Amino acid sequence: MTSFLQQLFNGLVSGSFYALLALGLAVIFGMLRVVNFAHGALYMLGAFGAVVLGDDAGLGFWWALLLVPAALAVAGMAMERLLVQRLTALDPLYNFLLTFGIALVCQDLLRMKYGSHSRPYDRAPFGGTVDLGLFDYPRYQVFVLAVSVVVCVAVWLLLTRTRIGTVVRASTERPELTRAFGIDTRRWVTPVFGFGVALAGLAGVLAAPMRAVNSDMGADLIITVFAVVVIGGLGSVFGSVVAGFAIGMIQALGNLYVPVLSQTSVYLLMAVVLLVRPAGLFGKEEHA
Amino acid sequence: MILALVHRLAGRPAWIRWGLLAAGLFLAAVLPWVLYPPVATDILCWGLFAVAFDLLLGHAGLLSFGHAAFWGGSAYVTGLIALHSGLPFYAAVLGGAVAAALLALPIGYLAVRRSGIYFAMITLAFAQMVYFVANQWSAVTGGENGLQGIPRTLPGADLSDAFTFYYAALPVVLLGLAAAHRIVRSPFGRVTAAIRDNPDRVRALGYSADRYKLTVFTASAFLSGLAGGLFAVNHGFASLQEVDWTTSGKVVVMTVLGGIGTLWGSLVGAAAIVRLEDWLSTAGFEQTDLVTGGVFIVVVLLFRQGLWGTATHLLRLRAPSAPPEEPEADAESPAHAGGGGGRGFTARAK
Amino acid sequence: MKRRLTMGVAAAAVGTLLAACGAGGPGSGGGKISGGKLTLGVLTDLSGVYADLAGNGAVAAVQMAADDYRKKYGDKAVTQKIDVIKADHQNKPEVANTQAREMYERKGADAIFDVPTSSAALAVETVAAQQKKLYFNTGAATTELAGKSCNAYTYEWAYDSYMLAHGTGTQVTQQGGKNWYLIYPDYAFGQDMQAKFTPAIEGAGGRVVAKDPTPFPSDNYSTFLLKAPTLNPKPDVLGALQAGGDLANVVKQYDQFKVKDKGVKLAIGLLFDSDIKAIGADKLAGTMFTTAWFWNLDDRSRAWAQRFQKITGKLPTFDQAADYSAATAYLEAVQKAGTDKAASVSKVLDGMPLDDFFARNATVRAADHRVVHDAYLAKVKAPSEATQDGDYTELVRTIPAAQAFDKPSPDCHLG
Repeated sequence: MTSFLQQLFNGLVSGSFYALLALGLAVIFGMLRVVNFAHGALYMLGAFGAVVLGDDAGLGFWWALLLVPAALAVAGMAMERLLVQRLTALDPLYNFLLTFGIALVCQDLLRMKYGSHSRPYDRAPFGGTVDLGLFDYPRYQVFVLAVSVVVCVAVWLLLTRTRIGTVVRASTERPELTRAFGIDTRRWVTPVFGFGVALAGLAGVLAAPMRAVNSDMGADLIITVFAVVVIGGLGSVFGSVVAGFAIGMIQALGNLYVPVLSQTSVYLLMAVVLLVRPAGLFGKEEHA
Repeated sequence: MILALVHRLAGRPAWIRWGLLAAGLFLAAVLPWVLYPPVATDILCWGLFAVAFDLLLGHAGLLSFGHAAFWGGSAYVTGLIALHSGLPFYAAVLGGAVAAALLALPIGYLAVRRSGIYFAMITLAFAQMVYFVANQWSAVTGGENGLQGIPRTLPGADLSDAFTFYYAALPVVLLGLAAAHRIVRSPFGRVTAAIRDNPDRVRALGYSADRYKLTVFTASAFLSGLAGGLFAVNHGFASLQEVDWTTSGKVVVMTVLGGIGTLWGSLVGAAAIVRLEDWLSTAGFEQTDLVTGGVFIVVVLLFRQGLWGTATHLLRLRAPSAPPEEPEADAESPAHAGGGGGRGFTARAK
Repeated sequence: MKRRLTMGVAAAAVGTLLAACGAGGPGSGGGKISGGKLTLGVLTDLSGVYADLAGNGAVAAVQMAADDYRKKYGDKAVTQKIDVIKADHQNKPEVANTQAREMYERKGADAIFDVPTSSAALAVETVAAQQKKLYFNTGAATTELAGKSCNAYTYEWAYDSYMLAHGTGTQVTQQGGKNWYLIYPDYAFGQDMQAKFTPAIEGAGGRVVAKDPTPFPSDNYSTFLLKAPTLNPKPDVLGALQAGGDLANVVKQYDQFKVKDKGVKLAIGLLFDSDIKAIGADKLAGTMFTTAWFWNLDDRSRAWAQRFQKITGKLPTFDQAADYSAATAYLEAVQKAGTDKAASVSKVLDGMPLDDFFARNATVRAADHRVVHDAYLAKVKAPSEATQDGDYTELVRTIPAAQAFDKPSPDCHLG
């Protein structure tokens, strides 16, 4: 039983990253109908940002947690203004390809500058472990889970309890209707894109103390996150977060009980969801 | 076959049709003299792969980001058949292509339930699953060592020379290209194009859109499988690189560079990318992804008709006397490919 | 040539033209050295994960060997003209295959060196046999190169998974780490390493308490790190057989889960200097692993390393040292054979004893073309003990050549 609960907890920690990344994807997709393939690369940039701030500027983890997402938000807004926006009138697949190209370029530029190897990060906060009752767990990883949950809840509150949120959510979930009501959604597009990118950057900074930081770290992750959002329902912010945590837990259980399937389980689950509910668990049917 | 092909190049003055075909065949015939023969064979394989891919993207409006599963899946099956059966390599490649088509059935069945961006993400995810299976199942696939030592068996012929093998592979590729062309020009192809442009109308007419999509998906996978099988025989092995997601990305860039929906443009795109990669290996500039990514960005932002589309566009500007084309038969013009509802993957603004 | 003429007049015209341009390949040069010069090809990873291990450093090492040979023999050298050419295989076997073929066929390479990544190395091995030209592998770890896939033209110079697993498994067990928990990535390399670690540990009187496959790639190892101290009996050693980025993940999380404080030490299957740099020597201090060579081994090694550093600005890796050793041995063999014909050079190499700064007490084994040499059980120095930047490794024990490598594989028939 203890080991089962341990696995669930492990899964929640992995799920924290899936949830943050899926949330960012969902917010961006909602506003622009763009699936940002560069999301994994931006996560990687977030982690590198923390490392570089530490090595070159001597700034610690907390500074990185503040500055890196902010810097990436600005970069994201620039990316939306200069590149993504030029294609929004076209089929959204063009933006998918554009962001794919951006991802490749980002990765290779980082590789050029820093090589393919991982970079050490020695400014991790919270050394020891904390007693969770049934088992000890690294304090830092508990912190990551807490941050992720708080951020997901905060974004949820922002979307449901504020006027900005109402507009964004309305255009996310009922774009035609919102426009029919005469609400100008355009002015929110750039900030929302920046916000989604900042979430990827935040996940990256959180990853730096506990994961290998290298130019490929986002590439493998993003494909799993795509499966996560397909399962949760791409248009659904709530579904993306729930699916993120759920997939994390399923993978962790797989690690222990069915190691052969630990890698493929997420895709099998995606197949089942597509059979039963093509729009995803929390997605709305749309004409396609 | 060739005559039929020429016939089908409808909507252009006869001399252009004949000229293009003759030029294409001449080029195919002399390619291994101009280029290093193994590279020439690579261009054939990638060219067929990209055309098969464009069959799906340009003519059914479906962007698959997981075509490596079919190319690579067939590479493994072809390799296993060739290694263990001693059959001529044509049979092995055919077996690989059939396997790719069989693999495409379940993936396609699930993926065609969604379109657009979902379709891309779903195919990418399933292809990743194929990758993990190939990687873990090393007893059969050789895992990261690859499936090595695939022979080029053909009774009565010595194919060990790359130059000879090119000409052994060429007919397979020409047949594959002709098949792709035939599909696009068939009534079936017109229905898929109509589904791309205006799915609701086609459904209202009583066609099952999903079934058409699945059929064209499977056909595309079969042709990709032919290409992937040949590639494995050409190199003598099948490796994880063949099922890697970067391979799916590579075929996308070839088609996008060549010109989406132009079919033959994909051949040009494939040739350009293969040559570029070959050149980069020894040029002292190792950032291949930077180049590939840059090509993506530039083409998508500024150059959406691709090489072929731009060339035909320029040609048309030069020759205003060319008769207006029948829009229905004109699948080669991306400007027309979006036709109806604008849902298709086209260069047209909504 | 005849069959080419059947391809039609126009095609033949182009063909003849190009054939004429390409004429003058092997055999047209002076003396017994084809073309009057030797061409050494370095096929390596110039941009990817092995660029630090091999990369341009490998090219520099082969160039050094060529320069040293010229200097040593002067007028007596079979030829003064030695070209070193390089190509990037991007860790893709199909690129490696085409580039190797092109090096041998078109660029006149007499031998190819380096080639990291198992799939690429195996692909080049096949090409070498087809082209009947020599190939010296230093970068790939698979035992298949000198096993099932071996051939008369391929030499395995540096290391393999048996050396890594057997060295660490045996030595660490003998030093008191009796109970092991093995975690291995679930793909060919990991499966292979696991299969070689287990008998090594058991052969030395130890026991594998448990072994688990881990997903590949993965960024979360908490399952296994939590499990390690709860096993019964509690393992003394956690054997992590991951590589590269996965290994960095394991070590970071091993540190966070405080597994060391719970009495489970870490041993690593494959550890390059670049990994130590990537993870941080502080996190790895005291970790044991087996290596084929390291630059700070002794004076002989340091002397070469300093020369290398002067040229490249970097300290050499074992792979680069092995490239130098292999290229030097090759040139010596050519000198002795008086020709660059692969079969004659190979005859000189087979059974040849070697003793350079890299290959100690070494022999080029004739049966399977594996070079057996001393290997080293080493441990990672704490940053405070390092004498300079890049000084990561401390010798624990020398593993004699006879024990470092497996017996020739029965699957290997050089043919």
